[in-house]
Amino acid sequence: MATLPAFFKKNDSTAGSPRGGDAQTKRIRAVRDPFQLRALPHEHLFLHKKQIDNSRLVREADPKSRGACWSAIGAACVLAVLLTSAFAPSVATTIAGYKLEALRIEERRLLEERRGLELQEAELLSPARLDQLAQQNNLVAPSSGQVFHLEGKPQGAVAMAK
Amino acid sequence: MVERRLTCLAVIVLVWGAAILKNLISLQILHHREYAVKARSIQEVEVEIPAPRGTIFDRDGHPLAMSLATRTAFINPMKVDIGVASDLLGYLLHLDRGELYLKIKQAADAHRGYLIVKRQLTAEEYDNLLNLKSRLDWVSLSNQSQRHYPNGMLAAHVLGAVDFEEKGNAGIEKGLDAELRGTPGHIRLLTDVHRRGIAPQTTIPAKPGTSLTLTLDERLQFVAEREIALAVTAHHAVSGSVVVMKPDTGDILAMASYPTFDPNIPVERGEDAQPRMNHAFSVPFEPGSVFKVVTYSAGFETTNLRPETAINCNGGKLTFGIRTIHDSHAGMWVVPAATAFAKSSNIGAIQVGLKVGQVNMHDYMVRLGFGQKTGLPLPGESPGKVYRLERWGKTSLASVSMGQEVSVTTLQLARLASVIATGGLLVKPRLVLKRGDVAEPVAAPVRVLKPENAITMRQMMEGVVLVGTGSRARLAGYSSGGKTGSAQIYDYASKHYTHTYNGSYMGFAPITNPQIVVVVTLNGTHGESGFGGSSAAPVFKVVAGEALRVFDVPKDLPENIPGRTLVASNPEDLNDLAIADLGESRTNILEESEEAESAVVGQAGYPLGPPANLAAPVYGPRPVQTAVPVAQGPPAVAAAPVPARPQGPRVPNFRGMTMRAVLAEAAAKGLSILPDGSGVARVQSPPPGAPLHQGERIRVQFAR
Repeated sequence: MATLPAFFKKNDSTAGSPRGGDAQTKRIRAVRDPFQLRALPHEHLFLHKKQIDNSRLVREADPKSRGACWSAIGAACVLAVLLTSAFAPSVATTIAGYKLEALRIEERRLLEERRGLELQEAELLSPARLDQLAQQNNLVAPSSGQVFHLEGKPQGAVAMAK
Repeated sequence: MVERRLTCLAVIVLVWGAAILKNLISLQILHHREYAVKARSIQEVEVEIPAPRGTIFDRDGHPLAMSLATRTAFINPMKVDIGVASDLLGYLLHLDRGELYLKIKQAADAHRGYLIVKRQLTAEEYDNLLNLKSRLDWVSLSNQSQRHYPNGMLAAHVLGAVDFEEKGNAGIEKGLDAELRGTPGHIRLLTDVHRRGIAPQTTIPAKPGTSLTLTLDERLQFVAEREIALAVTAHHAVSGSVVVMKPDTGDILAMASYPTFDPNIPVERGEDAQPRMNHAFSVPFEPGSVFKVVTYSAGFETTNLRPETAINCNGGKLTFGIRTIHDSHAGMWVVPAATAFAKSSNIGAIQVGLKVGQVNMHDYMVRLGFGQKTGLPLPGESPGKVYRLERWGKTSLASVSMGQEVSVTTLQLARLASVIATGGLLVKPRLVLKRGDVAEPVAAPVRVLKPENAITMRQMMEGVVLVGTGSRARLAGYSSGGKTGSAQIYDYASKHYTHTYNGSYMGFAPITNPQIVVVVTLNGTHGESGFGGSSAAPVFKVVAGEALRVFDVPKDLPENIPGRTLVASNPEDLNDLAIADLGESRTNILEESEEAESAVVGQAGYPLGPPANLAAPVYGPRPVQTAVPVAQGPPAVAAAPVPARPQGPRVPNFRGMTMRAVLAEAAAKGLSILPDGSGVARVQSPPPGAPLHQGERIRVQFAR
């Protein structure tokens, strides 16, 4: 099995007659590192940055283009405002519609929940159940006139049996 | 070259623009409506707003019946792969897959296209199915409403029940179905891509059913049902009913019928209909001795009969041609009318009836509401039966006088008792207190008896409790009046009266200002313990006692009753059976149709007992000490002496007492107080020592 370096080497051999620089690089590399990958194109070129001072160049003032620019910006803003004011009610209506519908669903759900709780309360307070509980706890019904309601706002009981 | 290219480009753009314009015209103008409808059908959904059936409350606002929204899943068994459906739905709806498989298979085998898989889906189950529904067209979901009766069997006969469409099929659910049913509303809702509602387009608001507040009192209804069930079981009766009524307004506080049913459980095919029958309202019966109240009332109105008038009970036996009538109390000869009534003498009642005459008797039966429906908004009311005068036979007057040849319902008897309790006013029974928030008006009562005669009847009925057949109905702490009744049940097969009875008791309390009327009927009792005085009167005692307690009615008698006043303690004294050997083979009133006519006009021409007016006036409950002049036979049985009524209650002195002390003393004495202010009692009205009238409240002003 051919290894990757061998493969590249093979390609190098089939890539036509090497130029002088390439041949030299290869030679150098062969000497330096036999396992180094093939050279990148223009690897032998070296770039360096040169500082150029353009501070002396000043763009010529163009009041006409500036005005045009500001006009464009102003027009865009006006257009944006117009569009916003045109579509805002519709968007607000849609958002309010979502909220309204969600609230309606919530209202119906809560009403149903309340009815369910009322039913549960009625079942818990049914006379048959209370009678059964009273019998379990050895309670008896008070006789006529025995119960009287306490006045004011009592902290605990609202009625007492004499 | 360039120009040519530009021209080509312009032509292409023009053609392209024209094509777009053409499509726009087609979309926006030519087919606008069609596409708009299509778009709407996609974007809009129609949502039904449920309108719950009206809730039914008792008079204190406790719900007796209410509806809850429920979600139901159903499938078309003909369109499903049974295995897949049972596996899928069993998993999603938490059902047993095997059972579901069998259920779907049976439905498919029966070629049913509709099968409810599960009712009352939870929110999770509903969401699961909703997601699945878009891919499976055989699953359907529906939002329905389900009726619940939170108290189970309580007031089942009054409330009735609903069918699977929540349409009333019995009781007030049927009688006022149109009002109770709501009209669902609809919203056309614009939705987004996720089917979330954005804004309603058109809305038809839901109209919920009208809530009804009944005159029933949940606590009294429970006690009445409990007691009638116990009595029916104890006396081996077939059925029983109780009606508790407010005499002044006609409000029905309780209407119990036994056997009963649970309206939460739907009717099964082939189910016995007996428990679903309202025996207080739909099942007429021969009343027996309780009907003597009509006879004596008519006697007071149309003749010179008074409680002290001597009546010849003929030793307890009377023969009309081939018909012999017996008294349950043998040996009564000439006695005051009050005693004959208290002891429930059949002969005495016949004597009074004969004196009244057929025309008057019939007139008063009709006046007192018999043979007519009471008009309650319940289906299946029986009007009872009163023969037209032309159909009365030779012995009809005698029979009717003691409660035979007439059929009544328990509710009609309650109405009769109300007439006596209100001083002669016939009230229209009322079951609905409020429709929504609107109070139902009380119908104006009609005077049918003179007040003095009604008061006299009231005293006569008190005598029944004190010295007569109704001693077991006597209340602790309250005076009461009543009448027992024990009627033999007619056997249609043998055309004879049997030894099973309708035991009944009709009463009210307290005597001076009656606050409640209670009528108890037991059907199919046996033996002496099945007579009205033994079987129905104890039920009256418990139910009336509870009603008086619930309505906080002040006591008018000492709590402890001296033993010596219980004069009618042996079974013989409770016997009020109307015994009649029917010599003529006459069809019983309960088996005859209205059309079967045998127009025999009878005339009142029977011999009366000695109409001797006694020297001293003797009213029902008062002691009879006078020597009764006897025309013939052995000496009359006089009413047993009764201790004098205690002196009327006086207003105690509350001045200087704290509010707590005043309330405690008032509660101990059974008085009703209207406190005002705070501190110690300064002023009271009525003043201390003043006679306290029945039902009167004492206003006490407190100040510091």
